[in-house]
Amino acid sequence: MFKSFVRTAFRNLQKNKAFSFLNIFGLAIGIACASLIFLWVEDEVNFDSVNLKKDRLYQAWENQKYDTYIFTESSTPGPMGPAIREDFPGIANVCRTSEENQPLLFSQGDKSVFASGRYVESSIFSMFTLTFVQGNAASALSQIHSLVITQKTAKKFFGDEQNVIGKTIKVDNKQDYVVTGVLKDIPTNTSFQFEWLMPFEIYWKNSPWLKQWGNNSLATYVELKPGVDVAAVNKQLYNYIQKHEPKSLGHVFLYGMNDWHLRNEFKDGKLTGGGQIEYVHLFTIIAWIILFIACINFMNLATARSEKRAREVGVRKVLGAAKNSLIIQFIGEAVFMALIAAVIAVIILLAVLAPFNTLVQKQLSPGLGNPVHIVAVLVIALICGIVAGSYPSIYLSSFKPVVVLKGLKLKDSGAVYVRKGLVVVQFAASIILIISTIIIFQQIQHVKTRQLGFNKDRLVEIDLQGKMATNYTPIRQDLLNTGHIENVALADHGIIYGGNNTSSLTWEGKPVGSQVLISQRYVTADFFATSGLKVLEGRNLTITDTGSKPIRMVVTQSMERLMGKGSAVGKTMHGEGDTTHAVIIGVVNDYVYGNMYGKPDPVMFFSSAPKDCTVLYARIKPGQDLQKSLADMQTVLKQYNPGYPFSYRFVDDQFNNMFKTEMLASKLSRLFAALTVIISCLGLFGLAAYTAERRMKEIGIRKVLGASISSVTSLLSKDFLVLVVIACAVSFPIAYYAMNKWLNGYQYHTSIQWWVFAAAGLLAIFIALATVSFQAVKAALMNPVKSLRSE
Amino acid sequence: MKRIGETQMIKITDLEKYYRTEEVETIALNKLSIEVKTGEFVAIMGPSGCGKSTLLNILGMLDDPDGGSYVFNGVEVAHFNERKRADLRKHNIGFVFQSFNLIDELTVFENVELPLIYTGIPSAERVKRVEEVLDKMQIMHRRNHYPQQLSGGQQQRVAIARAVVNKPKLILADEPTGNLDSSNGNEVMELLTDLNEQGTTIIMVTHSEHDARYSHRIIRLLDGQTVVENIMI
Repeated sequence: MFKSFVRTAFRNLQKNKAFSFLNIFGLAIGIACASLIFLWVEDEVNFDSVNLKKDRLYQAWENQKYDTYIFTESSTPGPMGPAIREDFPGIANVCRTSEENQPLLFSQGDKSVFASGRYVESSIFSMFTLTFVQGNAASALSQIHSLVITQKTAKKFFGDEQNVIGKTIKVDNKQDYVVTGVLKDIPTNTSFQFEWLMPFEIYWKNSPWLKQWGNNSLATYVELKPGVDVAAVNKQLYNYIQKHEPKSLGHVFLYGMNDWHLRNEFKDGKLTGGGQIEYVHLFTIIAWIILFIACINFMNLATARSEKRAREVGVRKVLGAAKNSLIIQFIGEAVFMALIAAVIAVIILLAVLAPFNTLVQKQLSPGLGNPVHIVAVLVIALICGIVAGSYPSIYLSSFKPVVVLKGLKLKDSGAVYVRKGLVVVQFAASIILIISTIIIFQQIQHVKTRQLGFNKDRLVEIDLQGKMATNYTPIRQDLLNTGHIENVALADHGIIYGGNNTSSLTWEGKPVGSQVLISQRYVTADFFATSGLKVLEGRNLTITDTGSKPIRMVVTQSMERLMGKGSAVGKTMHGEGDTTHAVIIGVVNDYVYGNMYGKPDPVMFFSSAPKDCTVLYARIKPGQDLQKSLADMQTVLKQYNPGYPFSYRFVDDQFNNMFKTEMLASKLSRLFAALTVIISCLGLFGLAAYTAERRMKEIGIRKVLGASISSVTSLLSKDFLVLVVIACAVSFPIAYYAMNKWLNGYQYHTSIQWWVFAAAGLLAIFIALATVSFQAVKAALMNPVKSLRSE
Repeated sequence: MKRIGETQMIKITDLEKYYRTEEVETIALNKLSIEVKTGEFVAIMGPSGCGKSTLLNILGMLDDPDGGSYVFNGVEVAHFNERKRADLRKHNIGFVFQSFNLIDELTVFENVELPLIYTGIPSAERVKRVEEVLDKMQIMHRRNHYPQQLSGGQQQRVAIARAVVNKPKLILADEPTGNLDSSNGNEVMELLTDLNEQGTTIIMVTHSEHDARYSHRIIRLLDGQTVVENIMI
């Protein structure tokens, strides 16, 4: 019987090539699209899974309670790591590392390259799963000037040389380091990324502030012993810092590796459960919606063409086929087509994976040899086949042989309603995705065009390295002399990122017990002019303010407001328990940093000597050739700092990088919306063709009676148009609810405008009309004599 | 030599069938009573709309009666559900239609094989039986052709082959020569006569007096009732 089913299915497929193509191609696009999404989801869900101890690895984070909010951060006090390892029997191991990857210059002979990495304790190798391809964990960081690199870094430093253990390389043009280990490259879906690792002792020795319990400047990773309850450890950790530093606002907790990537949103000191996982859920739902839309095409075309199969059903029933066997037959046919679609989908997937990887900035591989992937594709095909074949099989198998064998007209009003309902579902999904795409785009544009308080355009950021600080004055002058540069300044932190901050400041009138986190920046005199911040009151910082007594500083407007009514100029503040006062000499406008969706937080600026700064900012004049300007900057910097390659960043690029997730959502929603529309149109095209074929006689009669081409075209298009209009009515409230919820997740967000709905609805109507009218016009142009004769 | 058994195969008593729309109720069969013996060849005649096809559908268990009794081989089947009817049908009844009703996507061989698949006959046995019957119908040389590649007469031979391959006790033929020319029509009637002579009961609906003369008995219907029965000698 199975063979008979397959035979019939195959021959039906051959006989109805156009419909088979629409069905299979639509399903193939759907399966390919869903497979791409599932590959992305797999990569996301398996983030950090390379670490065998993933379930027991944590990072120590801190919650700090301020007046209006709880600030959650990953920085921890330096002495905390060894102390908790000692005090908590449930902790198996601890590893302290420098906080963020630091770019350093590595030179060998006349070749110099930058590479980023961290200072780590050697326990890293037993906690994280890092595989040595050369060297070993025991000795890798045992010497003070040892260096562990990844395979990629080895290639970057030493080219194709195979054995690099024992090779020396000069770091930052100061000290030779010996390569003591080469690690297998770190997978991209891993949170802990680096190009090199160096002994933590170097960092510890050179950073005296790390030894204080009141200073948070380290990352502390913790491995719990098997079976230890993290909640119990967290309970004990809560006031742990206060035992050593009673004034500390920080309360430590362990944040599990399982959540690092997917659930990284904190509110009031607690994980909200949100973050990247929301996109994982959203895209998974979208994948299934796309598959369902593709299945709808199958259902609609199968039931629309039911008359063509009706006689077969009748004959089979007369010959003894039970309803169940017919249901199995038709579902089997659908599964058969879905399997063919799955094969085509794999081919499509292979063809589009590279551009998709570029789009999502991942290195996904199809993994065709992976049994999980093979089973997944088969399961998807099976589900599609069963879903797509379900309704048609029940509908077709219910035909009465008495009716169909007599050639009587089938009463298919029920099926017609289901078919129309499914078209509405398809277009409603398409419209929702179109609306979402527009609103996501609007939100990104809304934030990108936000007045940040400073000018991010044509602002170049360069790391201050080598002799740049010493030679700052001539460098600055020479840069200005190139004629391309408007202004130059130095700072200790990137302008758009959060810098150092403190809560231990007080001033006259500050409410008792009030806790406010204030960002502090060290800058040179021209920083405000270079960045575009405006001095609103008082005066700018000057070189004479560096190291002045009393300390002189400039604050932002929000800091001024915190300090009470009236101008802040002349007011003073001091550290709690410290009598050294700082006086405010000027006020600049607020500006947004750190969280681009957030409000501008208070900042204070101090005048700094070049040696205490880390970055140089140069503003290129408007209308200047960027390449020429950069080339001239390189010439100047090479002159004063020959040992370092010229490396720069544009601040507006840094700004754009802060919207990576949103940009990804924007790109993917655009892609999915387009695909959903294409799949829906394939189905509509088939339905329109069938409707035109079915109404051929009616069209012929109407034309004989004088109907014009336009009236016949509108007659055939009208029904479909009504369905798209209903789809609009269904989709608008859903889209509004979903996008409103999404936007409310952002503190700074755009508002939803009515025209977005109108535009999406009109676009859907236009696309549907364009799809349907092709068939309608074709039918209207047909010679009535021919159509009447063929009837 | 026409052989008629003594056992009763079909007995319908006071059979009723109505077709209702919102406004009109049409009586298709009006308390119709008929008996058919095993081995009989019965022709049913009458004007269009007299209930011939309705009767055939009920006899073939393709449709339910609205009233009355239908006893097939001693079993009351009037109120069987679809599953039971399908089961009884596939083991006992073969159908021949005016419009052949072959499945276009299947070859001659596959069309004839279909009833054997539904009765669960093993593959090797199916091949043997299909080949036998195709040979008997002299259509073996067309076994791999599709219905559209055959003439009307050939298609009806295939349809008859399909009807008899399961060795049914009863063949119901609905105007089997209606779409054929007289030469092909006569051949089909000869085939049916042969089958009847080998013991298969045949009930045939026809408009053709010529075809009806091949039968043992003609039942003439009018307005869903028997008006006259002619015994053919």
